[in-house]
Amino acid sequence: MALVDLVSVDVVKIPLQANSKPAVIRELVQVLMDAGKITDVDRALKAIHEREALGSTGLELGIAVPHAKTDTVKTLTLAMGVSPQGVDFNSLDGKPSRLFFLMLAPPNLSGPHIQALADIAKLSRSRALCDALAAAKSADEVVRHFHAE
Amino acid sequence: MNSPIRKVLVYIDGTEQSITAAQYALCLAKCADAEVHAIYVVNTRALDDLLKARIFLKEEQIEYARDLEADAERYLNHVRELARKKGIAIETCKTTGSVYQEIVRAVKDGGFDLLVIGELSRIRSRREEFYDETERAMRSVTCSVIIVKDEERVWRMYESL
Repeated sequence: MALVDLVSVDVVKIPLQANSKPAVIRELVQVLMDAGKITDVDRALKAIHEREALGSTGLELGIAVPHAKTDTVKTLTLAMGVSPQGVDFNSLDGKPSRLFFLMLAPPNLSGPHIQALADIAKLSRSRALCDALAAAKSADEVVRHFHAE
Repeated sequence: MNSPIRKVLVYIDGTEQSITAAQYALCLAKCADAEVHAIYVVNTRALDDLLKARIFLKEEQIEYARDLEADAERYLNHVRELARKKGIAIETCKTTGSVYQEIVRAVKDGGFDLLVIGELSRIRSRREEFYDETERAMRSVTCSVIIVKDEERVWRMYESL
């Protein structure tokens, strides 16, 4: 399963309302709850926060990739969010993060989990694509950027 | 005329689509009286990319490498069991590295005349950032390739063996 298969309008939120790191994570997990992708918000949040405690997933170029293995999901699950004003996510370059990919995966799907995260790593190397996604005005626009068929 | 299919390689990556591909490969092997092999690639290339991108910490790289090894054993065991249930001999193989390179190498080194893979993503993004390693292998291998679809039909075929 590729990253493009995970990005759909029901899991993309633009703009994010949250203005702090914990609030962004909560808002994205709520997106998954509202889309029917998870049933246990608290366990999902716990898994994400446990991973964040080891080291922030805020990267450079304004991207953050909070992720965790958890049995609250049966399949690879992604929520995407865009914050035009940026949020302090303790990123590597100290700059606010604007583009968020929150990924949850069941423990027995390591291969597809790693492949999807590797797709995000590739995406993070493309300044043009990151800027286009961060400037998107709607979930439809984000999905169109991914599909680019 | 000799059968055009003598040696089949099926690529397993833990997805349902790859398990369906394994079932199809077993059906094909039985009908064509061909050898069938299964390969799982522990994607250490992706792990290295994630560490370089700093999405993974070092301890995550180690943990997920262990997970991938465990997944490889689990899914190859499952494929062996699928074969055993139908009385079909299968060789399984676990390799490490880049998915695309390992599949291409396995096909070449093993002299396979058919690669069987699971259904690819239906979304064909033109973005280079999202090229699919399995699709890249499909385009590069020197043998013919079957992309297996219609999980239900394949299941019925397998069950009827």
